[in-house]
Amino acid sequence: MAVLNAKNREIQCKIVYYGPGRSGKTTNLEFIHKNYTKQVAGKMISIDTHGDRTLFFDFLPLGLGKIKGCDIKAQLYTVPGQVQYRSTRELVLKGVDGIVFVADSLKVRREKNMLSLKDMHENLKKIGIDIRKIPLVFQYNKRDLEKQGFPLMPFEKMDHELNRQLRVPSFNASALTGESVGKTLSGIMKLTLQNLQKEFQWAQNR
Amino acid sequence: MRFDEKIKSLVKEAELYRSQGLLNEALDTYKKMQVLIESTQNVKNKETLLKKISNKVDALYHQMEEELSDIKPPEVSKDEQDAIENLIPKDDPEAKGSPEMAAALSLAKTGQFDQAIEKFTQLLSQDSLRFDAAKNIVWCWIQQKEVEKALGRVKQWMVGNVLSLDEVNGVRAYFEALVKELGLDAQISTVNIQKKLEPESEVEDQDILDINSTRFKLLRGSRKGEEVELEISFQAGKYLKMLVPKRDRQLIESVNVGDRFNGMQFYSPMAIFSGTGYVSSKVTISAGPKKGDYSLEIKILNIQT
Ligand SMILES: Nc1nc2c(ncn2[C@@H]2O[C@H](COP(=O)(O)OP(=O)(O)O)[C@@H](O)[C@H]2O)c(=O)[nH]1
Ligand SMILES: [Mg+2]
Repeated sequence: MAVLNAKNREIQCKIVYYGPGRSGKTTNLEFIHKNYTKQVAGKMISIDTHGDRTLFFDFLPLGLGKIKGCDIKAQLYTVPGQVQYRSTRELVLKGVDGIVFVADSLKVRREKNMLSLKDMHENLKKIGIDIRKIPLVFQYNKRDLEKQGFPLMPFEKMDHELNRQLRVPSFNASALTGESVGKTLSGIMKLTLQNLQKEFQWAQNR
Repeated sequence: MRFDEKIKSLVKEAELYRSQGLLNEALDTYKKMQVLIESTQNVKNKETLLKKISNKVDALYHQMEEELSDIKPPEVSKDEQDAIENLIPKDDPEAKGSPEMAAALSLAKTGQFDQAIEKFTQLLSQDSLRFDAAKNIVWCWIQQKEVEKALGRVKQWMVGNVLSLDEVNGVRAYFEALVKELGLDAQISTVNIQKKLEPESEVEDQDILDINSTRFKLLRGSRKGEEVELEISFQAGKYLKMLVPKRDRQLIESVNVGDRFNGMQFYSPMAIFSGTGYVSSKVTISAGPKKGDYSLEIKILNIQT
């Protein structure tokens, strides 16, 4: 749930990077942390270990400047991808304002992407969020591996398999080299803020 | 593709998957190579090649086992704990409007049991959160398979006056259900849980004078420690009934069934005496002009002479 602080005109929103294990969610946040130093508004937290009742998640607070007189703050979270951390994913999704689904372009991970999307759909439903209404973008990650000759899924095929029904913005990216990491983030922020604008009407009555 | 080119590219693939933590995919790739090598004729150094691959496979299995065995929740730093505490939004219904509750639940659900129990324990002092906090403390111990510790806590509540009788019974039922659900009942069957019964009184009904009013010290809540005086509306021997108007919420919430007031004062037209009182019931009046008010019943357990 975004927090709108009318007094000091600040909007705080929660963006979650979702996707199968090892698709590059943490790497996205690491790249942002290293390269957008002006926007980074605090420590990046990575809790990464093994275990079934544990949470693995990353957290990065950002300050994205002013839009229409309002300070925009975003908190980026990642979820643990491994199947057994379902309850942690549900927890991290609570109060989400926008989602980046980081899919793995490696051919061998094709099925894992689809399973993770299904899992996200179910977890959202549980907390009363309609996947067709929440701001969402897809990121097809690890595209840099194509040039090195590794077997990847073509963009069109991935977009067809994952995004055919939802029809939200999608990006080819490489979190490792940083390609389209910023584009993905600004893509989801744009949708999220549009959505919050509808909800709060904050840009009016200035 | 020529055989050795094919093998080379598969090795490269397997190595990539392993380096990215995709261990199953790496394993599958090595297995593919084994099949390919075994089914191809005239392979140079066939045995050495297969040996190399089986070493890689062993190493992968080893790595997989390691990941599985390391199942303890991580020790987290102060910053990490802060981030965890913010996982459940303050306005989540589960938190019942309390940021502290949201933080404690976030800690509990992420396996940070010690810190969670500490926070829940602090919440026991808040009337609206006490019951949930107590249940969550039990939950945290049971998640760690510490049945004895959970039971110890429940027993403590059964004799103390932190929780009301209803609350204790609720927590006990919750504890028993959890233990059963996890198949831990074998451990508990030997431990006998006592029912919280109304304590016996040392005084006979006929020895008690007519009492007009009583004074006692509140045990909890925002007015903890304050002495209140209440008029007796009805007396049946050692049982005293008094009315608390519904607007006096703070008072109502700070008195629970099962509470014991030591050094309580009883005022009768002829004398003042002190003793111990036990709250035997607290009910809302559901009809009549006093509807919504509370009727409190206190049983006199003993009188100091
Ligand atoms: N080549 C390549 N590797 C990547 C990319 N993104 C992530 N990785 C690697 O994939 C592995 C898993 O990434 P990580 O961010 O930890 O995945 P997460 O489980 O989704 O957080 C790591 O070894 C990363 O270095 C990418 O764009 N290209
Ligand atoms: Mg990660």
